[in-house]
This record gives sequence, C-alpha cells and structure tokens, in this order.
Amino acid sequence: MLLIALKMLFGDPMKLIGLVFGIAFSTLLMSQQGGFFIGLISRAANVISDAREATIWVMDPQTETIEGPTNMRATELLRVRGVEGVLWAVPLVRASGAIRTAEGRSTTASFIGVDDASLVGMTGRFIAGAPEDLRSPDAIAIDQLGFARLWPGEPLETGKVLEVNDRRAVIAAITDAAPGFAAPVVVYTRLSQALVYVPGGRNTLSFVLVRNVPESDAATVARRISETTGLRALTSQAFERATIDYVLANTGIAFSFGVVIALGAIVGILVCGLTFTLFVNDNIRQFAVLKAIGVSNGRILGMVASQAVVVAFIGYSIGIWLSSAFFDGVNQPLSDLKGFWLPWQVAVLSAAAVLAIVLLATVVSLRRVFALDPAITFRG
Amino acid sequence: MVARGICKRFGRGATSEIVLNRTDFDARAGEMTFLVGPSGCGKTTLISILSAMLRADEGDATVFGADLKALSGRALSRFRGETVGFVFQQFNLLPALDAAENAAVPLIAHGMATGRARRRASELLDRLGLAESLKKFPRELSGGQQQRVAIARALVHDPKLIVCDEPTASLDGASGHAVMNILRTLAVRPDRAAIIVTHDDRIFQFADRIAFMADGRVVRTEKRPFEEMH
Repeated sequence: MLLIALKMLFGDPMKLIGLVFGIAFSTLLMSQQGGFFIGLISRAANVISDAREATIWVMDPQTETIEGPTNMRATELLRVRGVEGVLWAVPLVRASGAIRTAEGRSTTASFIGVDDASLVGMTGRFIAGAPEDLRSPDAIAIDQLGFARLWPGEPLETGKVLEVNDRRAVIAAITDAAPGFAAPVVVYTRLSQALVYVPGGRNTLSFVLVRNVPESDAATVARRISETTGLRALTSQAFERATIDYVLANTGIAFSFGVVIALGAIVGILVCGLTFTLFVNDNIRQFAVLKAIGVSNGRILGMVASQAVVVAFIGYSIGIWLSSAFFDGVNQPLSDLKGFWLPWQVAVLSAAAVLAIVLLATVVSLRRVFALDPAITFRG
Repeated sequence: MVARGICKRFGRGATSEIVLNRTDFDARAGEMTFLVGPSGCGKTTLISILSAMLRADEGDATVFGADLKALSGRALSRFRGETVGFVFQQFNLLPALDAAENAAVPLIAHGMATGRARRRASELLDRLGLAESLKKFPRELSGGQQQRVAIARALVHDPKLIVCDEPTASLDGASGHAVMNILRTLAVRPDRAAIIVTHDDRIFQFADRIAFMADGRVVRTEKRPFEEMH
C-alpha cells in the first residue's frame, strides 16, 4: 500500500510541487532566521571567546556585558592580583570610537586595549603582522572587515595610516577577529594607546582578565575574587552566557526573530495544511474506493502519513540546502554577515517543526477520510 | 444471501427520509440477480447494506453465513475485502496506477507482494482481452476498457459476492453488451453470487433473476431462465 500511496502522491505533480514548496519555504525561513539569531547573539560574546588565555573576567558590579562596561579605578587590578588562586591578572579597556582614512572613509569600531606588557586579551588569529607589532608607536591591529570597509578593493597590507578620534594610528597588523555585536569592526591596541584614542577619565579599567592557578578551578577563584574585592567576577563561559542573556532580555532581538520564525512556521502550517487537505480531499473518492474494497482506516492512515513524511523529507531537504547555501554564501571574510552560520541545532529544530507541521496537516486532512462513507463510491 | 425486514432512514427529525422500508431480498450463489427499479427506490442503499458498506437501521442480513449486524466496523471492512468484489458505474480506478496495478489493488491490500499481485492481475486482464494495455493508465483507456479493468479488480481476489452498480450506464450499447458477457462468463460460478443494479433493460437478458423495487421495497421477483433464453 505504501507504493500505491507514493504513486498517488507523485501522480499529482502540481499539488506535490505546492506541498514541497510550502515545506521548503517554511524550512528556509525558520532555519535561516534561526541561524541569523544565533549568529547575532553569538557576536555579543565574541570578544570574550577570542581572549582565550583568560579564564576569569572581573568587572565593576554595574557591568552587564562586554559592550557597555562601567570602568573601574586602575588600582582594582592590584586588589585582584592579591586574591589567592590568581595566577596572573591583566587590565583590558573596551571602548567605541570612529576611525577615518586620509581619503575620508570612516567607520565605527570596538576598541580593545590590552595589557602593554603581555598583550593578553587579543585574538590569536592574525592575517598580516603579529601581536608583537603592536609595540610600535601608534600601532593598531584592525580586522580584515574593517580594512575592507576603509580601503575597499585594496589588498590587505600593513603600514597604512589613519585617524582615530583625530589621533594618528598606523595599521601594524590585520586580524581575523570575530565581529563584535554593536560594531562589527574590532580594533586591538595597547592599553596605553587605547587611552590616548578614547580617554576614559579617571577610571581607565574596563575589565581585569585573570587566569587561575592550575590547582584551583576557575569558578572557585571567581567567587573568591568577588568576595574579596566586591567586584563582579565570572568565568569566561559564565560571562559569555550572562552577556547573551542580557542581550536577549534587554533588546527586541529575541522577540523580532521569534516573530519571524513563528511566521515561518505559521506559513508552513497554512500552506502545507491547506494544500495537503486539498490533496486528500481531491483524492477522497480514491480513498473511498480503497475503503470499499476493505482497506482499513489504519492502513489509510499509514498511506497518508507516508505521503506526508515523503513530502516533508523532500521539502525539508530543499529548504535546509537553500539555507545552508545562503550561509555559505554570506559567511565570507569581508562580508558584513561574517560569522553567521547554520548551527546543527537549528537544523534539527527546523526538522522537528516540519515534522510537526506535516503531522498536523495529516491529522486535519484525515478527519474527513476517517468519517468517509465508502458507499459514496456508488454515487455517480 | 438473505435479507429480512431491512429499514434504512437518512437524516433526522422532520427532514428524515425512509429509503428502505422493511424490505426482503434473496440472492443465490451461482446466479446473476438484477435489482431494478426507478431512481430513488433504494436499490443502491440496499446493495450498500448487503455489501457491508452501510449498516441497516433495522432488519437482518446474512451474507454467506455472516450476520452483518453482528460485525464490528473493522470486521465489516475485513468482510468487504475478503468476500465482496465491486464494479462501479464510474469505474473508480485510481488514476495514478496503471491497469495491472489497479486490478491488483485488492490483493495488495490483503498483504500480497506487489510483484506477485501484479502478475496475478495481469493474467486476469489477459483473459479480459487487455494484455496489450497492462501498463496503460486509466486516462489512456476507453470506457469499456476501464470497466474491464474494474471487473478484473472485482474478481482478482476471488470473492464470493460480486456487486455491480450500473456497470453499463457509462458505456455505449456494444461496450455494455461486451462487459455483461464478460461478467456472465467470469463472475457467475456455483459458489459465487452476483448482484447487478441497473436501469438498462437492454441487458436484462443476462439475468437469472430480477428483483423489482419500488418505494423502498422489493415488490416482485422474476426467475429468468438464462440458459433457456440463450
């Protein structure tokens, strides 16, 4: 009967195309928006995950995220260094600023000022130059996206001069840093240089990056730092989570993406539900004939469910392929959408949603088949 | 096949309509029984009940030893699948299946492997003169050919009862005559009963017995000695 069910399905190409289109479009919408959502909120924590040497981030108790820190007095660094279990602690300043080329092109960027001596806190991915090159006067490291925005079409090269808040800066290195949330362009420089570019007043310390001694675990040391200094100390993973949670709770991102994803699901349900119901209704006489010749409701359920699963499989495969191709296309080093991808979890959730959509459509359309009187086959 | 005091009413309350009014009906194995009468007299409702598609409101129907009233919905479905073969006025072939697959559907529905069912259906279609049309779809067949495929579907699982609803109504005279010849040859056996519902008096010659219906009842039955007439 499975073969008969599939022949019935493929014997009506127009409706099959309608069903597959509905599922594919729904899958594309849900997975693409889901990928966008994950990519966007991941950006909020990119600077944290790029600073791989640090296991603990210490900050003012008012600071919620990496993007908008409340600066602390520089002396807090020494207090943190004095806590038991701290292997080393280095300062980091984070600010936003505008950069401009001699040709007049400009962009805003996230400025990360790292410890002059150790350069801890920088990304490890360099395309041109090296971390040590930041020790030169006025040196900065810019990511390749920022370079492409300032000098579009030109090859990536160091030595170019630009202005940061009317101060001279020289590109000493080009990085492949993960894009930031508020400003996708990320500029690294020494902390002393960063304070020249974006003066922070008396309080010049955004974060203290800490590594715990191997004998202690990071969570314990973070708790001890909080208790001893009154500052907020979180492990890197906890700070990433807290940053993402803050973005979700305090921006409309989750709501707006949620609405689009829900719309995708609703469109899928409507298109598939209506088309599938239409498909089943158009075949109602055929189902009546099958019932008349003794095919049970259970076997008809199996037939319709197998049709639904095949439609779901084809539609989902097309939709997820389109979504994957989209992310492959936009996730390029010089793209504004760099770092956006299709997480497998989103693909799995989309599959579950599609399965729910077709099962719902099956249930709705089968109600009429189950109530069908096979005697209608005797009517002309 | 014995039916006694069969009543069937459609609708409820003031708008309800009595379609069968305490009617009796008998059909015998080895005979082709025609059920005739004007439109709306209850012929189709009666064969729907006798072929286990519809339940009677009152009365008893026993078909090859099975008391239809006592069977559950699932058992009725199984009874139809095993005991009854149907030929419909509109053929009711599945458009996505070719002729051999259409004829094989009852066997596949009973769990026979598709290849084996197709071979068995093809043998029967061959006897019905459709050997060249096994892979043709219903839209590629004439009305007469479609009805022959429908007859093959009705006979392929060797049922004890064949029920035909206006089998010649959609066919011209020659095709209708050919279809009735086939039914007469293949459907009538000592262990099988055939019931034909029809308006077409041109085919009365094929009947062994004719039951005349009017106003929801079988009012008269005539024995027609088929062998003597031919």
